Amino acid sequence: MNVSLKRIQAIFIKDYKEFSRNYAVSIMILFPIAFALLYRSEAGDQAAIYAFIMNFSLAMLTSFVQACLIAEEKERNTLRSLMMTPASMLDVLIGKSALVFLISAAVLAFSTYLFGYETSNVMLLTAALGISIVLYTAIGTICGLYSKTLLEASLSVFPVLIIFTAGPFALAFEEQYPFLEVLRYLPSSQLSELLVAMEVGAAAGELARPLVIISIWAVVLTIISFILYKKRLMDQ
Amino acid sequence: MNIREMSVNGQRIIPPLELNMEKGIILGIQTNVQRKKILLAQFAERGDAYLSFAEQGEYTRLTVEELLRFMKSVSGHDKPVRLMLQLFQLGEYHKVKIADLPSSKKIYLSLLRVYYAQQPIIVLEEPYFQLEEPDQLAFARLLEELSEEKQILILTANLEDALISCDTVYRLDEAGLHLLDITDADDEMETRDEPGEAEFKIHKIPTKKNDKTILFNPPEIDYIESINSSAMVHVAGETYACALTLAELEERLQHYGFFRCHRSYIVNLQKVRELITWTKNSYSLRLTTGKDSVVPLSRTKLAELKELLNI
Repeated sequence: MNVSLKRIQAIFIKDYKEFSRNYAVSIMILFPIAFALLYRSEAGDQAAIYAFIMNFSLAMLTSFVQACLIAEEKERNTLRSLMMTPASMLDVLIGKSALVFLISAAVLAFSTYLFGYETSNVMLLTAALGISIVLYTAIGTICGLYSKTLLEASLSVFPVLIIFTAGPFALAFEEQYPFLEVLRYLPSSQLSELLVAMEVGAAAGELARPLVIISIWAVVLTIISFILYKKRLMDQ
Repeated sequence: MNIREMSVNGQRIIPPLELNMEKGIILGIQTNVQRKKILLAQFAERGDAYLSFAEQGEYTRLTVEELLRFMKSVSGHDKPVRLMLQLFQLGEYHKVKIADLPSSKKIYLSLLRVYYAQQPIIVLEEPYFQLEEPDQLAFARLLEELSEEKQILILTANLEDALISCDTVYRLDEAGLHLLDITDADDEMETRDEPGEAEFKIHKIPTKKNDKTILFNPPEIDYIESINSSAMVHVAGETYACALTLAELEERLQHYGFFRCHRSYIVNLQKVRELITWTKNSYSLRLTTGKDSVVPLSRTKLAELKELLNI
């Protein structure tokens, strides 16, 4: 499968224009910012709240936008026409994912600034968030592939939002229901754990574990999304 | 190009076919929706055909210019966007968002994607169905130009649509392809009797509708069409079956200003309002009747018609 930078760029620009003019989707960039402002003043458990905002933003912004971009293209039958041009499936997917990655990175950075979160290790935080964005983009791709219309896509993101964002909170009931232990391995719980560990100044080995688990999630989901993408487009 | 045999529930829908496609000749196939879908599916399996579907959508939030620029970069087309806008006669719309275009222009724009196709074969499904006339005309011209480089096939359920730009039209049914004679109808024109020496004849045209026999005075008739080799008489937007053949009808009606404008059509010249030129070798006649009825005109009959009308 050949990949061309020129075509990726064309798809990137096209999707950026469509995204910025579709207010139903682009309004999502306001959520992380609003949340950051809302929780800014609260003192105390800063890392946990910050982790919640990031987890929520990743699902609500990254997955949502990616799912909508793919579903809309399917809904209007433009993907089928695009497949008959020299643009490969990979061109389309990379162009869209790159746009979603950049938007998410910018918005998350801005809301981190607004929230006033300070960390001892900027590199580690950037790496963790960067890998998380890749992971949530892959989830968005999967959601988009399973929905036929824009409406379906926006609904399909909600299970993701609930499971991934609420996962860390459900851990509070872990003592009553031991099976909830599984939720500890959600990437959102791991991100939360990582941030808390960073704040208390844990050892390097302890910091590495959550990062590795998040990376495994990202790699596995990206591979699944690629396979599904290829398979479902062939079926059309 | 070969088309495989297709059966649904043990019933043969399409026999194995062989299509000869050439550059410079736009091929048309008139058939029903089911066969159209089967043909499209078979073309989709081939890698060398660009398919333009009737339900093609568009990036409605882009402007016309942005879309053409996108198509250019994605397909690797080399002509500048400004030139294409001119060629497509979309100059005045270049800053308009596609969502705000008139619906006929929107479909016209979607059809223009074929211009950026890299494949040697182009298959279009119902290209003219929802277009307004100026856009039909513009698209027919573009297709003719495009056919110099590509092999073009039009699939449609409507014969009139196929006649707008096809050089060769086939009808497809379970028995196979049937060539519709559009261009070389000359050879079959019967030598006519000299008028004047005819004896007294009945000049009413008998037709049947719902088991009733209805007699029409020739001047009432708009045009007569042959469908599956039986004549259908069109009067004021209604159709009536007639047991006579087109040749018999032509003979009966020639003194009333009727004209065999096409192998399957006889038109009442008193009711012709306009001669439409689609491309340099495809024409239609528009009638004055309340409904928007258009009758195809063979190229070979054009000279004869011009002579009759002294134009």
